[in-house]
Amino acid sequence: MDAITTFVSQTVLYATVYTLVALGILIGGRAGIFNIFGEGILLTSASSGLIVASLTQNWFLGFLTGALAGGATGLAYIYVHETYKINQFLLGVIFFILGAGLSDLIYKLVVGVTLTPPIAPPTPVVGGRILSELPILSGFLHQSLVVYFMYAAILIAWWFYYGTKVGLETRAIGEDPKAADVVGVNVTLRRYLATVIGSILIGIAGAYLAIVVIKTYSSGMAGGRGFMAIGITIFASWKPQKALVGGLLFAAVEVLSFTLQIVAKNFPYQIPLMLPFLAVLLIMMIFKKRIEFPASVGKPYSRE
Amino acid sequence: MNENRPPRVSPIFPQGLACRGVVGARVRAGRMDRKVLLELKNIRKAFGEVVALDDVDFSIEKGGIHGLLGENGAGKTTLMNILYGYYHMDRGEISFEGSKVKIHSPQEAIRLGIGMVHQLSTLVPEFTAAENIILGTEGRRISFSTGGERPGILKLCEEVGLSFPLDVKVRELPAGIKQKIEIIRALHRGAKLIILDEPTTYLVESEFEQLLKSIKRLIDQGITVILITHKIREVLKSCDTVTVMRKGKVEGRIDRPEMDREKLVKMMFIEKEIKITESALPRVQLPDCRRSELPVLRVQNLAVEAGENGVGVHNLSFDLYGGEILGIASVSGNGVKELVEAMIHPSRLKEGDIRVKGESIRGLSTLEVFARGVFFTPEERIQQGILTEGSIKENVLLGHQGEKRFLRHDLFVNWEEAGKAARKTITEYGIYTPSEDFLIKRLSGGNIQKVIIGRAFVSQICLLITHNPTVGLDISSVEFIFRKLVEIRNQGDAVLWINEDLDELMMLSDRIAVIHRGELRGIFPRNQFDKYQIGLAMIGA
Amino acid sequence: MATTPESGISNRARGVRGLSLFLSSIQVYGIAIFLSFGVIAAISAILGYPVFEVLETLVFSSFRSFAGLKSTIKVSIPLLFTTYAFSIPFKIKFFNIGAWGQMLLGGAMTAVVGLLLADWNLPSVVMIPLLVLTAILAGGVFALIAAYLKADYDINPIVSTIMLNYVALQCVAFFCTARGFTDPKGGHPQTMLLPSSAALGFIGGIPYSLLLAVLAVLLVSVLINRTRLGYEINAIGYNPVAAQSYGIDFRKTIMLTFFFGGALAGLGGGLEVLNIHNRLLVGFADISGVNFGPLGVLAALVVAGNPMAVPVASFFMSVLLVGADRLQRTMQVPVELVFLLQAVIVLLIVITRARLSAKR
Repeated sequence: MDAITTFVSQTVLYATVYTLVALGILIGGRAGIFNIFGEGILLTSASSGLIVASLTQNWFLGFLTGALAGGATGLAYIYVHETYKINQFLLGVIFFILGAGLSDLIYKLVVGVTLTPPIAPPTPVVGGRILSELPILSGFLHQSLVVYFMYAAILIAWWFYYGTKVGLETRAIGEDPKAADVVGVNVTLRRYLATVIGSILIGIAGAYLAIVVIKTYSSGMAGGRGFMAIGITIFASWKPQKALVGGLLFAAVEVLSFTLQIVAKNFPYQIPLMLPFLAVLLIMMIFKKRIEFPASVGKPYSRE
Repeated sequence: MNENRPPRVSPIFPQGLACRGVVGARVRAGRMDRKVLLELKNIRKAFGEVVALDDVDFSIEKGGIHGLLGENGAGKTTLMNILYGYYHMDRGEISFEGSKVKIHSPQEAIRLGIGMVHQLSTLVPEFTAAENIILGTEGRRISFSTGGERPGILKLCEEVGLSFPLDVKVRELPAGIKQKIEIIRALHRGAKLIILDEPTTYLVESEFEQLLKSIKRLIDQGITVILITHKIREVLKSCDTVTVMRKGKVEGRIDRPEMDREKLVKMMFIEKEIKITESALPRVQLPDCRRSELPVLRVQNLAVEAGENGVGVHNLSFDLYGGEILGIASVSGNGVKELVEAMIHPSRLKEGDIRVKGESIRGLSTLEVFARGVFFTPEERIQQGILTEGSIKENVLLGHQGEKRFLRHDLFVNWEEAGKAARKTITEYGIYTPSEDFLIKRLSGGNIQKVIIGRAFVSQICLLITHNPTVGLDISSVEFIFRKLVEIRNQGDAVLWINEDLDELMMLSDRIAVIHRGELRGIFPRNQFDKYQIGLAMIGA
Repeated sequence: MATTPESGISNRARGVRGLSLFLSSIQVYGIAIFLSFGVIAAISAILGYPVFEVLETLVFSSFRSFAGLKSTIKVSIPLLFTTYAFSIPFKIKFFNIGAWGQMLLGGAMTAVVGLLLADWNLPSVVMIPLLVLTAILAGGVFALIAAYLKADYDINPIVSTIMLNYVALQCVAFFCTARGFTDPKGGHPQTMLLPSSAALGFIGGIPYSLLLAVLAVLLVSVLINRTRLGYEINAIGYNPVAAQSYGIDFRKTIMLTFFFGGALAGLGGGLEVLNIHNRLLVGFADISGVNFGPLGVLAALVVAGNPMAVPVASFFMSVLLVGADRLQRTMQVPVELVFLLQAVIVLLIVITRARLSAKR
């Protein structure tokens, strides 16, 4: 494979993480919930997913665990928020810390006991020799099944929000919850669903990160990607198709920074490592005028 | 039927006493059934310690317009919100079409055939009218296009005589149109009973007439309408029955033949010493007053960029003299917000000039404008006017934090002085509170508004700009504010009074200026006040 | 006009209100602590650790010996600074999650300037104030970046401060390994030792930086309660729309609050470098696997962001951290457990507070 195809392949590999998290955030956001603790979910599901996958040598169980970890965290979060009406950002910071703490603890407890580092089982890769020969396209297509899951998720989300009435109603909640409430839309139920589904996606992304991309676990391995995904979601104006674009963009920056480190040996390696984070800020500055938010995202809603 | 016997009026349950077109030309024959459509019994609702509804009974027959009358805070909206399933009652029973029902959410109310048009628009601003109308309807959950339900919507519009663009984003439409959309939205779900909550809040006289026409067409279709209002005039003009509420209780129900202004006023208010007008306003006199020779405020060729959802101001010029109240009549969204902004934040002034006592205020900061003797009270009391979790003292200081009097060495706040000013305000304005350290959010709406007004007078001013100061207040607070405005004027200072309620403006203004789409449409002197004409000017007709 | 009530400020009324507030705080903490101990006990039991000993070590390690107390003070100083760094911008409802990065940069710049000036042989009385100033400015200016991005580009400070954290992390790594700064002999990435004139010492085992911490406490208190800026900060926190309408400069206030927050975090970092390590090293702002950033946020949330209560909150958290360390050493309880528990405790406190205020 030539360099460009390799580049594309690596980009898509990493983009899956970014895009799934961004999609998870935007699903919650469309119902008015601003999820800033994606990083915490990534860490928890990475650690738990990898361990289960390693112990059972079954990739699917690993992903299932990650999904469950995400879903449980999301459920706990939305329950506390809806019941006690606590500020979403405040709660999000706490849940991020919880997730980070939990992930390290789980790893230490399990691996500390067995003392064997986990071995990630492989996931099925789509396409055989034919796909892998295609230039550039193979970068997009010759990938793990999970990447195809990501593609499918984006398409389904896109269709859901803009092609179905249920999606219209859900978007209404994010814009003006009272308007949706008075016409009989069950705001609370949909917020629960949106948060949990979004968190499940992020959980899958975390398991993917540990099992497919990095193949090991280390403390803080999400490296801030969960937070960068917030930037992607904002840049994408909370739209699924743009989230894919954003994910690819930032993954490309990340892959570029790896390349730079290898190529420019005498250049301090810390600077390329800073690039992705600065890129987030830069992109948000450049696209400031074109960014839209669901009007009520982050705000609590109650009738009285 | 013995036509000489006057019909009896029963205060609470007039079953069997429904008028049948017997007396007077005002009653239209056969509009109201004998059948009871809705019965609310013993409704009780408290928010924390505050009892909003205390053992309320309310019942109406099928057909016709039923008024629910009461001043602000009487509990009318709360009662209807319970009927609509938006609030839950603490105790009570609801019967609809003869059977007992439990309504836990708007969904259930809608299914029963109850629709509600709230006072403030509940449409999603980002969506079009069509999208808003089909939002939440049953059927065709998955694939949709507004196309499927469109013909039904258009037919409804035709039947009721309402029309509006279906595919424009709602946030670009004026309040009158939004209301029509909300009515169609309720009808589209098969509403048999439609509740209208203070529908004339954002309408002028001519639009109200139009609305009445549409409501009458609804009645002809067999729909029942409940009209929530605080304006006696509206009830007298349009309602078949009226139930009067006061401070969480029902005072009684009167049917059309027995309706008269005095009776209704007596039922609405306990305050005997306040004279009340037909618009349920306190009657306050405006004595003769000589205005100053030179204008206190001169606005010249003012042009301001449009804000969010507004139109900005174009080429606006007018003078305001000391010793006068200049009323600004304008429908919300027509540039008044930008006008006030320009006066308070003149650093954003693009074209034209504003002069206070002859000196231009172009480019000045807000505090510098205040230092010239200008102060204001904002449109939205809570959202724009108070430091919500702050004490009364902190709130009285607001706007004066740059004054030498309240600073020590330019750096430190002189809290003793601030406390003094707060105490003075509390005393002068009769604000009911144990101390100036009390949290402002615990005060009633009227008292909060007193703090906001009192804040304006902590230091000397020559011009007060005030925007809808009486919204949502009880009658004594309204009277207090009216008297205060007159007092300021009589002292020789100027008042720029922006108000959407034309009745209020007409009572107390020396002149009324109309602004439409950012332009001055005319200034009416007091002896030429005509509600209909001014209303037409307000909507640009 | 309505009759006026007595306008004399009832001191009793004020006193009563103060007392009821105090009592409700006790209620919140009491309930939360009770619940938290329950959680700790339950988890310890499930994982097979002796419950009573766990609780006892956790809470009392700091007080059993002078060494314990010293450790607690040493930990609570940087924690105090990062807690302030979060709680000051929090007053205007902005989340500065960048305390860690601001601390890192403060420490880094202090070391850099200190090493660059090493050959000038300046006396302590010049070096130390100069380096303290460097730390303050470095942290403050770094935080200003986030404030500027919010004011002019409406970028959510949560995102910008977290991104900047990672940038600061790389800065520290850079200087610890760059030629001219790095210590060739050390096994751990770190810079050379700072000149002795730049060393803050200890007195009885307690670092001199404690004095600066106390000074910071006083300054913050005066700032918030007595200055005009403090009033404006409070006003914007209550209602930014109203505050701006009445002449408060939002932009200026954001900049200043972030500057002060960052400056304090930077100062904390500089003091760690000057007092504890005498050099810059990777991980100087970490403790037991976590760093002072999120710990500062947790501490601030314990007291609902009230800057006046920050010293108590940071001391409380430090007690738990010292206890956690001892738990790991003596009972092999993973420190991560305690960190997790701290987060759970804060969550319970936040929930309890919300429940009680909803009822009022």
